[in-house]
Amino acid sequence: MRSGHFIESYDKLVNLTDNPVKMAWSWILVLVLALAPLVLDSFWTSICATVLITAIGIIGLNLLVGTTGQISLGHSGFLAVGAYATAILTMDYQVPGIIAILLSGFIAAFFGLIVGIPSLRLKGLYLAITTMAFAIIINHVILNAEDITRGSEGFIIDPLQVFGFSFESDASIYYLSLIILVLTVLGALNLMRSHIGRAWVGIRDHDIAAKVMGINLTTYKLLAFMVSAFFAGIAGSILAFQLQYINVDNFSLLLGIEALSMIIVGGLGSISGSIVGVIFIIFLNELVRITTGIFADDGGTMSLYIHEMKGLLYGVVIVLFLRFEPDGIMGKWRDIKNYWSNWPFHH
Amino acid sequence: MSSLLQVDAISKRFGGVQAVSNVSFDVGQNEIYSLIGPNGAGKTTCFNLISGIFPLSEGRITFDGQDLGRVKTHQLAKLGIGRTFQNLAVFKHATVVQNILVGRHSHMETDLFSCLFFAPNARRHEKAHRHKVEEIIEFLEIEDIRMQPVGTLSYGLQKRVELGRALATEPKLLLLDEMVSGMNAEETEDIARFILDIKDELGISVLMVEHDMGIVMDISDRVCVLNFGEKIASGTPEEISKNTAVIEAYLGHSGGG
Repeated sequence: MRSGHFIESYDKLVNLTDNPVKMAWSWILVLVLALAPLVLDSFWTSICATVLITAIGIIGLNLLVGTTGQISLGHSGFLAVGAYATAILTMDYQVPGIIAILLSGFIAAFFGLIVGIPSLRLKGLYLAITTMAFAIIINHVILNAEDITRGSEGFIIDPLQVFGFSFESDASIYYLSLIILVLTVLGALNLMRSHIGRAWVGIRDHDIAAKVMGINLTTYKLLAFMVSAFFAGIAGSILAFQLQYINVDNFSLLLGIEALSMIIVGGLGSISGSIVGVIFIIFLNELVRITTGIFADDGGTMSLYIHEMKGLLYGVVIVLFLRFEPDGIMGKWRDIKNYWSNWPFHH
Repeated sequence: MSSLLQVDAISKRFGGVQAVSNVSFDVGQNEIYSLIGPNGAGKTTCFNLISGIFPLSEGRITFDGQDLGRVKTHQLAKLGIGRTFQNLAVFKHATVVQNILVGRHSHMETDLFSCLFFAPNARRHEKAHRHKVEEIIEFLEIEDIRMQPVGTLSYGLQKRVELGRALATEPKLLLLDEMVSGMNAEETEDIARFILDIKDELGISVLMVEHDMGIVMDISDRVCVLNFGEKIASGTPEEISKNTAVIEAYLGHSGGG
């Protein structure tokens, strides 16, 4: 426990943090992120933009899985809904890009509501299968509703235009994602310190007790699904603008597993953990790609297996973390912090 | 004495098992009422029927003049019924303050968007509820553990947090399901003191299920005894301790074969 630390008003208690050091480091982090594209080349800027976009969706997923305790393997479906909604709205209906991003979030949230309804009756494994079925259905709809989604041919999307400025460069997408990620983090933190976040935690830890405390399980479970899908939809929308070409292969089932591995690695129910998990998994991916590239001397036999290797790696990472550090990297961080703040009186 | 909770000939069947049959009792204003009986007598089932976790097979439960038949479980907190559970039902990953704040849920009305942006009204509400929670923490004398995750606390303290969470709903009637089971003598005495304070200082009626006869006989105003789902006796602690049917239920027939 920190010494000489007193909380003197309720205002201080409800603030995001009462620790000026933590506040300062958070601002420094945002500043460093804002300056990063100036020193990174286009390739790494684009990787970092992917990290930011993924983090938006993963924060959404963690609110549902980590905080509310409702497992979802179907978040690739919500991502796809967001991306295709943006593609269809901007290309076929000429909706301005910025509005399309927001609308894509709401459309995904609507799908979240539909997927959430079975969750009122299902738990654990059964819910996992139901949500996975949703992702499969979305993939089939994309492939077969050719008039709307262009089918297997894929969808070409023009760059995002805002007041005449075109978001074509990697750096511009990076900044767009950074702004939306900061808003997402703030929104999620605000939800967590309000009665909505506490209701979700209550549902996760003991749903019957939560009900007796006056929490309407139907409302709050559906709300969790909708908010989670909203963030995934927003992430999908920006992804569409980043890639400028989407097809069904961007939203495979493996993506849903990858997303789960990110929150397990980072820390279930932790917002900073979501971001750490995304960084860990995406850079692990890059590492695999680079190493297979080095050994691919005969025209890339190794890189042929990269998809399988990725799948294997996610499996190993999930198992190792669940076995040795179920609270993820953030759990480890908390232990280290406790150890040193109580040193030498730790036990 | 006007009654706050009226339980009128309730029955509950689980398949072929008659868990509760034709039980009636009533809890008055500002009264401590105990429900006792041997294991499997249907005490906890009665609690679950009152708090709407199971639907009634037959009978009627009225609280404060309102029929609870159509009231959903999550609406009870708002009506003024708080409860604790037989087995610990705390939110063990959350801190003590957060647990008790969940009890304030039914008094919070900020909508999704003010929460998302933590708008001034959300902040104002949050502060007011924090104030209320601190009052409860002071009442239960758990100031020094307020920021700890509940899962790391001892059993007795976890029970106390659960009591605090139920108090945070500002109930008129508090249902306590085996509050002191597994507690040592000192912890039991603390809880007995809190229950008396809850009645006298806060003016809340208490309906409790209890196995610890010491606490039942010491603090109850009235006692109702169940056996095999049926009510066998009710009255003041003195009357109950002399009742032959009760002694038989607990100790078996005297002098028989």
